[in-house]
Amino acid sequence: MSSTVDLDAIIGGSPFCRFLNVRAEVDARGVLATLPIRDQLVGNVMLPALHGGAVASFLEIACLLQLAHETGTSAPARAIDISVEYLRPARREDTFARARIRRLGRRVAVIHAEAWQGDEDKPVCLLQSHLRLPSIGAR
Amino acid sequence: MTGDTTPDDDTRTDGVADMADNPYASRMVEYTPYAVAVGMKYVSSSPGRGTILLPWRADLVGQDGTDILAPGVLTALIDHACGLAIMAGLGFEAAPATLDLRIDHMRPAAPRASVTCSAHVYRATRTIAFLRAEVWDSSPDDPVAAAQAAFTLNRREAK
Repeated sequence: MSSTVDLDAIIGGSPFCRFLNVRAEVDARGVLATLPIRDQLVGNVMLPALHGGAVASFLEIACLLQLAHETGTSAPARAIDISVEYLRPARREDTFARARIRRLGRRVAVIHAEAWQGDEDKPVCLLQSHLRLPSIGAR
Repeated sequence: MTGDTTPDDDTRTDGVADMADNPYASRMVEYTPYAVAVGMKYVSSSPGRGTILLPWRADLVGQDGTDILAPGVLTALIDHACGLAIMAGLGFEAAPATLDLRIDHMRPAAPRASVTCSAHVYRATRTIAFLRAEVWDSSPDDPVAAAQAAFTLNRREAK
């Protein structure tokens, strides 16, 4: 299944997405984003566990990709606010995420996203975000 | 944990503040792989307060052509400054873990601007710390982001 927008081009146009090496594919449920494990993502070397900031920013990217996929525009939306909940440590392994648009208004989108590792039913991190949609002008 | 007792000196961004006070303080930034990867620099800490600088870098920009740091980079900076504030307040005898974190992005950082985050514990119980944090580029009076967080403390001593 393909997207109406080129997600790889969106990722390629974001230095930070390239820094994190985020990957995206589209299936029947929407965008499946992957954060491949690398040692530099670790935030706690004792556990070890991924840095909460790395996981949260991966979820922000998942929200942007799902929004681009559903709206068919690659113009970037801007974060207004985010709220993150950490449910369990993110282990030193690949992390996956899906986002769901809960409301798409004219100016603002409300998007929820979840990250998991081995088991999608055991999310490691949840994120809610408000995004200012593109092409409405300056905030 | 004393929270807001020393609001005077820790908004410095010169990166040379009180590193000598406790070696663990700067190590919390220097020995954390992700903090190193994004280039965080320890600025200062005091009981219940921590300040970290994130120098601007081209590979941390959110969108080609804007030269503005990605909001997600600020998330890691805020989370880490909160951890530093807690550790500084507990004499580095804890393993704090983020429960939740809320961030308001009031405005984008200026193009090519480095940002500083200062976090402080405004309330702590035996098991939980509640924090506020602000991120600014040019002046603490004009923040780009504000955050509120709760952490579990996981104090090392047996209870």
